[in-house]
Amino acid sequence: MEKVSYIGEHLWIGQLGHGFVVLSLVAALVASIAYYFHSKEGLQNEWKKFANIAFSIHSVSVIGIAATLFFMLFNHYFEYSYVWQHSNKEMPMHYILSCFWEGQEGSFLLWSFWNVVLGNILRKTIDAKWEGSTMAVFSLVQVFLASMLLGSYILDYKIGSSPFILLRENPEFANLPFVQNENYLAKLDGRGLNPLLMNYWMTIHPPILFLGFSSTLIPFVFALSGLWKSDYTTWQKSALPWTFFSIMILGTGILMGGAWAYESLNFAGFWAWDPVENSSLVPWLIIVGAGHVMIINRNKGGSLFMTHILSIASFLMVLYSTFLTRSGILGKNSVHAFTDLGMEGQLVIYVLTFIFLCVLLLIKNKLIKITYLVLSFLLLFLAILIGHKVSILLSWSLVTLGVTIYSYMKFFPKEAEEESLYSREFWLFVGALILLLSALVITYFTSIPVMNKLFQGWLYESEKAGIKVADYNQWMTPFAIIILFIIAIAQYFKYKNTDKKAFLKTVSIPLGLAVVFGLSATIPLYFLKDYSTASNTVKWNLISYALLFIVALFAIFTNLDYWVRVLKGKTKRAGASIAHIGFALLLLGALISTSKKQTISKNTSTKRVESLGEDFNAKKSLVLTVGDTLPMGNYLVTYTGKKREGIDVYFNMDYFTHNEDGKLVKAFELNPMVQDNPRMGTASNPDTKHFLSHDIYTHVTYGTLSDTQKARDDAYKEPTNFVGHINDTIFASNAIIRIDSITTNLSEEEYAKNDSLLIVTAVLKATDITGKIYRATPQYILKNNMVMPDEFELNELGLKFIFWKINPNEGSVEIQMAEKVNNVKDFIVIEAYMFPMINLLWLGCLIMVFGTTIAVIERIRLNKKTAEAV
Amino acid sequence: MKKMHILGIIVIAVAIGVILTSLQSSATYSDFTEATENPTTEYHVVGKLNKSIPIQYDPKINADECSFVMTDNKGVEKKVVLHKSVPQDIEKSEQIVLIGKMKGEEFHATEILMKCPSKYNDGQPQISES
Repeated sequence: MEKVSYIGEHLWIGQLGHGFVVLSLVAALVASIAYYFHSKEGLQNEWKKFANIAFSIHSVSVIGIAATLFFMLFNHYFEYSYVWQHSNKEMPMHYILSCFWEGQEGSFLLWSFWNVVLGNILRKTIDAKWEGSTMAVFSLVQVFLASMLLGSYILDYKIGSSPFILLRENPEFANLPFVQNENYLAKLDGRGLNPLLMNYWMTIHPPILFLGFSSTLIPFVFALSGLWKSDYTTWQKSALPWTFFSIMILGTGILMGGAWAYESLNFAGFWAWDPVENSSLVPWLIIVGAGHVMIINRNKGGSLFMTHILSIASFLMVLYSTFLTRSGILGKNSVHAFTDLGMEGQLVIYVLTFIFLCVLLLIKNKLIKITYLVLSFLLLFLAILIGHKVSILLSWSLVTLGVTIYSYMKFFPKEAEEESLYSREFWLFVGALILLLSALVITYFTSIPVMNKLFQGWLYESEKAGIKVADYNQWMTPFAIIILFIIAIAQYFKYKNTDKKAFLKTVSIPLGLAVVFGLSATIPLYFLKDYSTASNTVKWNLISYALLFIVALFAIFTNLDYWVRVLKGKTKRAGASIAHIGFALLLLGALISTSKKQTISKNTSTKRVESLGEDFNAKKSLVLTVGDTLPMGNYLVTYTGKKREGIDVYFNMDYFTHNEDGKLVKAFELNPMVQDNPRMGTASNPDTKHFLSHDIYTHVTYGTLSDTQKARDDAYKEPTNFVGHINDTIFASNAIIRIDSITTNLSEEEYAKNDSLLIVTAVLKATDITGKIYRATPQYILKNNMVMPDEFELNELGLKFIFWKINPNEGSVEIQMAEKVNNVKDFIVIEAYMFPMINLLWLGCLIMVFGTTIAVIERIRLNKKTAEAV
Repeated sequence: MKKMHILGIIVIAVAIGVILTSLQSSATYSDFTEATENPTTEYHVVGKLNKSIPIQYDPKINADECSFVMTDNKGVEKKVVLHKSVPQDIEKSEQIVLIGKMKGEEFHATEILMKCPSKYNDGQPQISES
């Protein structure tokens, strides 16, 4: 094949970008090794300077990669696959950032970029003692992240995926005709950002979430340094502000995701327990646990192993989540898993490498260390050479688990004294343990596709499916109850021991208030509905939700009390109390808005399907014909028409309510939208009216996006056949038609005598919506025993009748009726919900983030103070 | 016994609870034949929409019900009654997962998950002639 010389390509920039990728990888590797030797050889040595230079080069390279990609996007260099896939010329410039991180490569780059930012802050602020060891691990993580952008082949195995691949070199498109056109660039436009993602959420949510993922790395590198240096306590002081920063920023990222889903996705809620959501929640739950055990350690000492486990697990769960959501393994379990880039094996290796590293650092015996190292590598080579990957992976996991338990027993320092039941540290520890346990339960259920891959056909036969949203809610409610209970009581305990009487006295007032308030709010609900025939699940939910409600109130009351009475209302020191109030409000809002969510769109169909069970009786879809007004909840709602803006079709709905005089007035209007998305098909986008006490949420599940075709308006649709007698009625979309009478020109005898012509006339009376009556007289004509075709058109109503058959035995007649296309008015099917008290949830989010931020600032201040004192 | 031991036992109990629940739960991917044999059990059935038979949806009669024909992965074809409004783009789907149970000769589903073809997701570079 002749080589084509293409016109207008900017090959230099791709090479520059790729050069930066390679440089960033090499520099991170050099930095990691140099920091290792720096850490090994004590505080002042040549290695330190060298390592810092290498890390700076790495940092500059990562920023260089980002700048290059940004420059390419900004200048529409569609010769590059990433630019073509994620942007186009028409797109407003403020979405350029969204294009940047829409793809996998871009989001890895975003992650790596945040790591560089945090890494540089860490290295400037950290105690010199910890610099070498933490930065060695940090740089190693950066080596792995940089390799995700490499896109090179090593022995037929592709490492990473590069954002600097040319469009014509992308294997997906390499055989298309444009590759043969030397001037293809002149006429090429990009595919563009997915229109569904063209909103402000896509601009702010990914950077915050990825900063959250990045921030979990810092407690991880500290914990690993602790294991490495066998100094299990002193690092925790420096790690504490970082951990709370991570709690704050990752929490913000997750909650923003929930807000995005609630505002613009159609699953009618803020949380759906989707694997992608779970995989950001799990690291957060663990890092929250880590932060709290670190507080024990700072104030009293102890809980050492738990601190290490949690600090390490949070980052490992971020890695594992990356594997889950980006390897394509979730397949049919998630609607929004990323596309598979063929990095499954690579991602598994990364997760295993870091687990391996943690265990290796825990072992303090040289012989065991070497044995474990050799054994691990042997198994790895075995897996590469002979396959049987699953059994090898399982045996390695068992060996690792065994070595971990042995090393913990043998080498890890343990607390001598038993913690008192009346001590703060006991309850903080239990709280952290419950958080970890809840995270593991979520991970277990999210990992069902992974278990299928490992165990299906061995431990069980049929492929397991994931569990439902309701199951997740049922599993998580008891955890939430225990956590809130601990949040409520823990602050009143002192470290080591607390006077029981004083404790009970302080707690009894808020507890009493919560029980009285809680019961008076929940017990009436029980009598609203008959629960005698309800299933056990319903009863269980009723009790657990009531308990959750009471305990959430309890937590709010005690933390308010602690803030006002014990801390004398000082905000600066009350970060924890404020954050806990926020968390309790968040759960309270989630509980009320989910359990008391009301479907206000009522299906008026009389068709009952209850015999199949309650699940099958959805009844939540309401049909709204244009111009009709129907009751919906406390409102009357009218569908007034649709408007198309580009690919977005807005359906205008007016909500009416009665004012004081009993007159109907327009309360508000909603414009739920359906996007005619060229890349994903149609996507429904709800519209919500926010009130202080509740939200009215509406989304269109079915609607015609095109305007009714004008050209075909005058045509008739397929006719429908009716069999009936005199006085029967036929329903048209715009009229009710009664068969008034049937007359003949001949009597039966006359027709029998002379078989020339029989005319039977059906007299139909059609009443339209306004009550006006029209007459239609279709005729059945029989000439020489042949039925003559005859049509009667009722032009005023756009109806056509054909009287074509008489059944003398039944005494019935058959009439076909056809309607004109434009008789059928435009209609939509909607679902509408009322979410009560959902603002409590958002208020809780804000308060929690605010409280955590105060806690971070306070921790930094305390650390500075102790540093000065020394 | 130490308090930590009691905590340990609780943790193990929860872990066993989770594992048993998930192993016993009947939520498995299956086919129409198995669902027909156990009409009281809920199944996740994977298959493809039979595109030659039109999808029935008449919101005027019941906006929460539509029906279509699906071929499962073993090639068995059944009429499906989905107790929801018709999912947009179902006619473009290349794979369907239904959650529900068999009743007589019909599969009644409460939930549907669809996968659309990746070609359709991605599009291809084309040179416009304008």
